[in-house]
Amino acid sequence: MIDAPPVAAGGFRTALRRLRRNPAAIVSAIVLLMIVFACFPGAPLWVSHACNHGPSDQNIQGTITENGHKVPVVRNDGTPIGPGLRACYLLGADSNGRDLFVRILYGGRISLEVGFISAIVCVTVALVLGILSAYAGGVTDSAISRLLDLIWSFPVYLLAVALATAFAVHGIAVGPIHVASTSLAIPIVVIAIVYVPYVARPIRGQVLSLRRMEFIEAAVASGAGPVKIMLAELLPNVASMALVFLTLIVATNILTEAALSFLGVGVPLLTPSWGNIIEQGYQTIVTAPWLTIAPGLAIMITVVSLNVLGDALRDALDPHARLRIRN
Amino acid sequence: MRRVTGFLALATATALLAAGCGSGTSASGSGDTGAPVNGGILRAGIPGNPDHLDPALSYTNEGWEILEATNNGLLTFKKASGGAGATVVPDIASAMPTVTDGGKTYIFHVRPGVMFSAPVSREVKPSDFKFSIERLFRVDSGGVGFYTGIVGADIYAKTRKGGISGIVANDKAMTITFHLTQPDGTFNDYIATPFAFALPKGTPDKDISTIPEWRVATGPYRITSYVPHQSITIRRNPTFKSWTPDTPDGHLDGIDVKIGVTPEQSVNEIADGQLDWYFESVPPDRLTQLKAQYPKQVYPFVRNNITYFFMNERKYPFNKLDVRKAVNYAIDRNALVKIYGGQGTPTENIIPPGLGTAYKKHNLYPYNLAKAKQLIQQAGVGGAAVTVWGHNTDPTPSAVQYLAGVLNQIGLKATVKTFDESVYWDTIATQKGDPQIGFTDWNQDYPEGQDFIDVALNGEHIVNVGNNDLTNTNIPAYNKRIDQAKRMPLGDARNAIWAKLDYLYMKNDAAWAPFMNRQWPKYVSPHLHGLVFNGNYFELFPSMYLTQ
Repeated sequence: MIDAPPVAAGGFRTALRRLRRNPAAIVSAIVLLMIVFACFPGAPLWVSHACNHGPSDQNIQGTITENGHKVPVVRNDGTPIGPGLRACYLLGADSNGRDLFVRILYGGRISLEVGFISAIVCVTVALVLGILSAYAGGVTDSAISRLLDLIWSFPVYLLAVALATAFAVHGIAVGPIHVASTSLAIPIVVIAIVYVPYVARPIRGQVLSLRRMEFIEAAVASGAGPVKIMLAELLPNVASMALVFLTLIVATNILTEAALSFLGVGVPLLTPSWGNIIEQGYQTIVTAPWLTIAPGLAIMITVVSLNVLGDALRDALDPHARLRIRN
Repeated sequence: MRRVTGFLALATATALLAAGCGSGTSASGSGDTGAPVNGGILRAGIPGNPDHLDPALSYTNEGWEILEATNNGLLTFKKASGGAGATVVPDIASAMPTVTDGGKTYIFHVRPGVMFSAPVSREVKPSDFKFSIERLFRVDSGGVGFYTGIVGADIYAKTRKGGISGIVANDKAMTITFHLTQPDGTFNDYIATPFAFALPKGTPDKDISTIPEWRVATGPYRITSYVPHQSITIRRNPTFKSWTPDTPDGHLDGIDVKIGVTPEQSVNEIADGQLDWYFESVPPDRLTQLKAQYPKQVYPFVRNNITYFFMNERKYPFNKLDVRKAVNYAIDRNALVKIYGGQGTPTENIIPPGLGTAYKKHNLYPYNLAKAKQLIQQAGVGGAAVTVWGHNTDPTPSAVQYLAGVLNQIGLKATVKTFDESVYWDTIATQKGDPQIGFTDWNQDYPEGQDFIDVALNGEHIVNVGNNDLTNTNIPAYNKRIDQAKRMPLGDARNAIWAKLDYLYMKNDAAWAPFMNRQWPKYVSPHLHGLVFNGNYFELFPSMYLTQ
């Protein structure tokens, strides 16, 4: 009799049922959906219906009317207007007279895009390297493993800052591919690279144990080639693991984007992201704390939701692991 | 001098301004107790590394403030505030120079007994001054433009061999003579800048900032340690003996400079008693609160500064006059002043108002976005990619973002590039850096309109490294007028030419988009006294003292 793969056919449907029974997962999924809705269709809707200021519209000399009085968006001493119950400048303005709420909505788009795309790139690369390394073995395994060790040997943020700084000067130029230094692809690639070993290593370990199982031996005996085995037999069996990693790594990547942008080497300055909104607000944290607190809260809520959802997904896909942890 | 916190300008011509600014520009420090107290270590903070701690290379006020306390030249600006601080007096020279040959020859007598600190430990000789000025050319100093009028300097600039024939040093007679190609009313000012400070012969032709054995002092203090990105330690120079009241001994035993202190952090640390003094001004958003809470610790400080955006005439699309004019129309100067917390006065002049009759206000570019858009269309550069350069010290990032936003509004496609401030000034001053447009400012090196028009716009001074003409402006007819004005004696007739050139450059070239004469309020520890804000060397460390 052939060993069953860890997640049998129909395993995802079972996992979904388990997930639906987890209230924390449901709440975090709803919160995430709300954030995604607010940032993507919500942002332009807010701008067109509630307030006509785009995320980069500067209004330093403008005024708004509050309680019948004209109030400057930015006072003569440079202090911007604070939060208030109003359509425009709901969360206040920054020192350039830009609407903070609108910037957070549009900034969320960038942070989520960078987080998700870099996570997809990271997990995809990790899957390729992890499966190839474990299945091929020998020189290929050694070469890939040493490459991963090399990346792993650097502290994540140090490597990310170094790469981002290097790419920020002249962009990325590999053969005919040229990515401008101000492109959003730079932080995406940098963040994806630094986390590859953290995903590829466990996948390699899982494939190493899978390749000794009888269903793989059966596939080999039936004449399947290495590519077919890797794609048709191994990949589906590490997919659940990759999915869990994807969810968790999105949260990590959003935090990394925020950190890089805060350090001035992430998303280009003119493009709002939660990280660079915090960076720009940080210098006025005493007199205008909302500029830092509001995007910080947005990051916190998103990351907590993603982590709760990721944990719940892991528990749903791998209930034995949950039991082991709880025991 | 280029820098956010640059040099002050309270020249003779600025007496009116100084008077209007009250005691902050001229008085001693907070709660001045009268008699200065000797001893104590000043705890100072600075956001990043000073550009250089080499007199030949430093061209920022942070560097000059330190070097003023450690090194000396033949002449010095009087160590005083207000108009008096603009007066040039003898330093290592025993007297003011004898000027002959119709203003083309300057003879200095070098004071005997002035010592270089260890490990050199010998008397300063006239030949050390000759060596120091020649070294400027060999290390691509930003200050070479001041000395190109010396006979033979132009040849030496190219060959870097054989010395400058127009500088004759006689170590036996302790004299040094400068022969100029033409009279220059501000030559004494050049000699008083740190570029002409004495370094011992043999100093290597490279930046000595991090070479302790060559950071040799002549003044009351010496730099005992410099760890980039961490600290600068300054202590008394044991070989120093004051030779004139204009070069006094210091009161402090030393200065510990902590590198990496942000403006916001400086306010908190001074309030908490962890810091006494900060190199930069108060963060714009904190000024109102600090003035109310610590009125005796906040000092207004007005300097001859012009803060502006430069446009590189060699780079598309700013090689087109219409585009440069469009930028001048598009920026709302009042809005930019707000970004700086209201700490400045809007202007579109090149020369600051503190320079007397050299300043004549003009209003060529009232805020007009529609006109700016039209000029961009007229120039046919709609959608051109533009990168706005700036440094990362607040609030400059906001200012460059403002400019980029405005450029996008008028039809260009702008992005922003920011650099750490410690490398920004050197980067923009090289042709290799080659920015299209960026933020900068200029603060007086000496109190004369020439320092703004000639130094920053005369195309004859364009060089590859250490270039002060960031716009690469080179209009031969204006260069000629500048050269004529330089030969004239100081005064209203000469000032009128600077004022006229200010107008002409802005009207016909518009490579600058000046927006503000910035002010520099300081917040200091209640224990710090004896603050003297000199127009050329900025705050003078030797005058400071600490009380309990």
